[in-house]
Amino acid sequence: MPTTPFSPLGADLLSTLVFLPAVGALVLLFVPDGARKTIQGIGLLFSGATFAVSVLALLRFNPDLVGSEAFRSLMVDRPWIPRFGIRYLLAVDGLSLSLVLLTTLLTLSVLLVACGQKIDRFKGYVAAFLVLETGMLGSLVALDMILFYVFWEVMLIPMYFIIGIWGGKRRIYATMKFVLFTLAGSLLMFVAILFAANVNAQATGIQTFSLLDWVPAALGGAWGLTPRSEALLFWAFALAFLVKVPLWPLHTWLPDAHVEAPTGGSVILAGVLLKLGTYGLLRFALPLFPNATARYTPFIAVLALIGIVYGAWVAAAQKDMKKLVAYSSVSHLALVVLGIFAVNATAVSGAVVQMVGHGLTTGLLFMLVGVLYDRRHTREMADYGGVASQVPVTTTLFLIATLGSIGLPGLNGFVGEFLILGGVFKVSVLWCAVAATGMVLSAIYLLTLVQKVFWGPSTVAANRGLTDMNGWELAGALPLIAFVVILGVYPAPLLNLVKNSVESIVQVARVRMLP
Amino acid sequence: MSGPFLHVTSADLAAVAPEIVLALAGMLLILLDAFARPARRAFPYVALAACAVANLFGNYPSGSAFSGAIQASELTRFVDLLALAAVVLSVLGGGALLERDRKDQGEFYALLLWSAAGLTLMVKGTDLLVVFLGLETMSIALYVLAAWYRDVPEATEAGMKYFLMGAFASAFFLYGVATVYGRLGSTRLDALQAAAAGSSAYGDPLVTIGVLAILAALAFKIALVPFHAWAPDVYQGMTTPAVAFLSTAPKAGAVVVAVKVLMALAPAGLGVPWRPFLAALAILSILFGNVVALAQRDVKRMLAYSGIAQMGYVAIGLATFTRPALEGVLVFLAGYLATNAAAFLAVAALSGGEREPHPLADLAGMGRRRPFAATVLTLSMLSLTGLPPTVGFIGKLLVFRAAVDAQLVSLALVGIFGSLISAGYYLRVVYFLWMKEPTREVEAPAEDVLSGAAYILAMTAMLVLGVLPRPLLDWARTAALSLPR
Repeated sequence: MPTTPFSPLGADLLSTLVFLPAVGALVLLFVPDGARKTIQGIGLLFSGATFAVSVLALLRFNPDLVGSEAFRSLMVDRPWIPRFGIRYLLAVDGLSLSLVLLTTLLTLSVLLVACGQKIDRFKGYVAAFLVLETGMLGSLVALDMILFYVFWEVMLIPMYFIIGIWGGKRRIYATMKFVLFTLAGSLLMFVAILFAANVNAQATGIQTFSLLDWVPAALGGAWGLTPRSEALLFWAFALAFLVKVPLWPLHTWLPDAHVEAPTGGSVILAGVLLKLGTYGLLRFALPLFPNATARYTPFIAVLALIGIVYGAWVAAAQKDMKKLVAYSSVSHLALVVLGIFAVNATAVSGAVVQMVGHGLTTGLLFMLVGVLYDRRHTREMADYGGVASQVPVTTTLFLIATLGSIGLPGLNGFVGEFLILGGVFKVSVLWCAVAATGMVLSAIYLLTLVQKVFWGPSTVAANRGLTDMNGWELAGALPLIAFVVILGVYPAPLLNLVKNSVESIVQVARVRMLP
Repeated sequence: MSGPFLHVTSADLAAVAPEIVLALAGMLLILLDAFARPARRAFPYVALAACAVANLFGNYPSGSAFSGAIQASELTRFVDLLALAAVVLSVLGGGALLERDRKDQGEFYALLLWSAAGLTLMVKGTDLLVVFLGLETMSIALYVLAAWYRDVPEATEAGMKYFLMGAFASAFFLYGVATVYGRLGSTRLDALQAAAAGSSAYGDPLVTIGVLAILAALAFKIALVPFHAWAPDVYQGMTTPAVAFLSTAPKAGAVVVAVKVLMALAPAGLGVPWRPFLAALAILSILFGNVVALAQRDVKRMLAYSGIAQMGYVAIGLATFTRPALEGVLVFLAGYLATNAAAFLAVAALSGGEREPHPLADLAGMGRRRPFAATVLTLSMLSLTGLPPTVGFIGKLLVFRAAVDAQLVSLALVGIFGSLISAGYYLRVVYFLWMKEPTREVEAPAEDVLSGAAYILAMTAMLVLGVLPRPLLDWARTAALSLPR
């Protein structure tokens, strides 16, 4: 029996991690609306503590365990609805842990930045992000499929409120579109989960929803799926995740949601929610359905290649800063999907590193665009120009984030993109070539953005009084910058952390790929 | 049947003790209203006390009573509690509203109690005539409640419509019972089951027609398409706290009776494939209810169509008809009761009064002005959509799981497709509450203690049972296990 490590707070470590933010939101219920200082304090306390717990989890985590043991080090396993074999099963491996850290860091950053900006209905804003954090962390650590689905849907409602209440002019349209797209995918996955559980129960005689039971059964051929039902199951799962990523042509909700969302919403959306799509592919779709994965890899790869070029192309045509960054996400995440479906250790580690890297850099880009928007209430590039002299700090950070996003060597974007391209090269030179053009294009449109907004002559009079980032905003942005640089110069710790999980995913997914 | 014609034992009385308590309390309320008018403020408490006492008597032993006309079981106890819970929620939430409109006469509470008594009697009945007795007691009280605001034209219309169409349904029920009796020679479900299993009656068209007539009458009470036409108008015109009762407990009771009838007669006696028939009702209700609800601009009409769709999900469970599916149906009904009652109470609390219409637009800005009631309504919308971590999700999980396990994946797919459509209109309510600025001021009264208690009860049920559903699941399992066979 594995011993469950206990956190200082009494409950086990992963439960503490997941539910601490929700407790914070609950505490906020009893704070009066106007007490901004108290609300700030509670928000920062709970998101900070959650970050601390995630770091503690990293320290306690044993990255050397491999195979089915990989999840053992922090596992929590209790019955939840025992009659159907539904369990409260939380566990992390290197893959989920790296994303957990990204999530707790970004949420803390978002709340720090929020403290420095004028936000209406502040209490609700902070509470929504805390609930959202619980949903995200839960989705990352849950290994029981029903529990995973519960957390997956829990993310939906806070985001609905964040975009719908604090968003821009077309926020209602954007938030409804976001919810319906996501829900369409996830409901389909829900039926697929039920169906897979039925298949598993008939094959093994055991009622269980645990991924740790499903994967060996599916791999051992015990499920005995016909190619058709495996394909249907695979697509039900993959669609839920590919909508979230979002892969072209399922991406249409993303520009709307990003543009209309408030700064924090965009940061979390780009930084974490999109990654949950790629995480889901890696964690569930590939290991459970290796044959279907192999069969549909060319198809998905083509979609990803289209997405890379299309996203970049459309981004280059944008006049709105947020829309530009949003389409750049479509392009960059398509590259991650391509890396995942190359199904080799190099490309998949690259994809994971790129997931973290994109979370940091794009999170930063949205955050800094938000800083400008907070001052000027416009996101049109034409309304800026030459503001570098007014806001030198913002400019510097924006430049670093941009270079990181482009993949400049020495910053974190480079590591991920290089590994993905290297891994994809082994599969197909053509794919690699097309994907590389996306990177060239990303340099063009992102640097154009920097040039149009920050450099050149200052032509717009309204920008004269533009103030630079305040202390709160800096406190939110600097840690992210630090990680962009550190992980760029010295990516080894991250690569080591994810190495074993990547290898086991690749091994599992390749088992039956060979003819 | 030997012995004296009316030989009532104490065991017989124990089996219907809750009904007796409820009926007596109703009479007491009417007398109090006639002779002690000043006591009106205490009426909600009297009704609540009656429910509490009825619940105390709810621990009757299982077994048949009244020479087998009544069958008390874990299942009837389950429904007893659902009925009492619905009454409690309506009374808690409705008291202040009725007092404000000076419509707080004792009859309101008396009718609720009688309706609940009829409901539980209907579920206990194994003799179809006792079922009919209960059904009518329940329904007639509801007809009167539908027209409670006599001075409001919509209310009288609702009462009239519900009465006329309800009378039709009752006639169908009796016609069905008579037909079945004519062929099989009994009105008792256990005797019918034995007779139907005999080869001579297998697939007899008379039995088929009879069962279909009974099912149609029940489908009318449940409001399944195509027997749903009364629901939107009645919901709209009936006073909202009463709708909180009407839309939940009676439907649950009718579903349980349908299960009992199907158990007794369907497998052996129906002769026609009856699962597709129920599946068709389910699909029609889910698609029709959800799509039409999308177009509604009145909250109560919207909730009426949503209720049709929700009963469509229940019908998926009925069409599946395995033991897990029936458990799922019971869990779904319990969750739906807490959720839907909470929704109607919050709608009433956030409206300009029971004499006014309830347009969606009036909910605008209520998130700021009335956060408590708005939160309850929001939560119930999420639960009706079936989003975790609410009890609505648990219900759908069980029903859809049972359908998938019975290889009825297509029904589950229709169910989730309906859920997706429903997100469109349920979330529109949330949008109005929290994201839209009001265009006109609606005078909504502040919460009183009782309605606050109703909200907290309903919220607890929705959230706690959504996160820790085990007690409810275990209980539903025992209840389902007490069904015959």
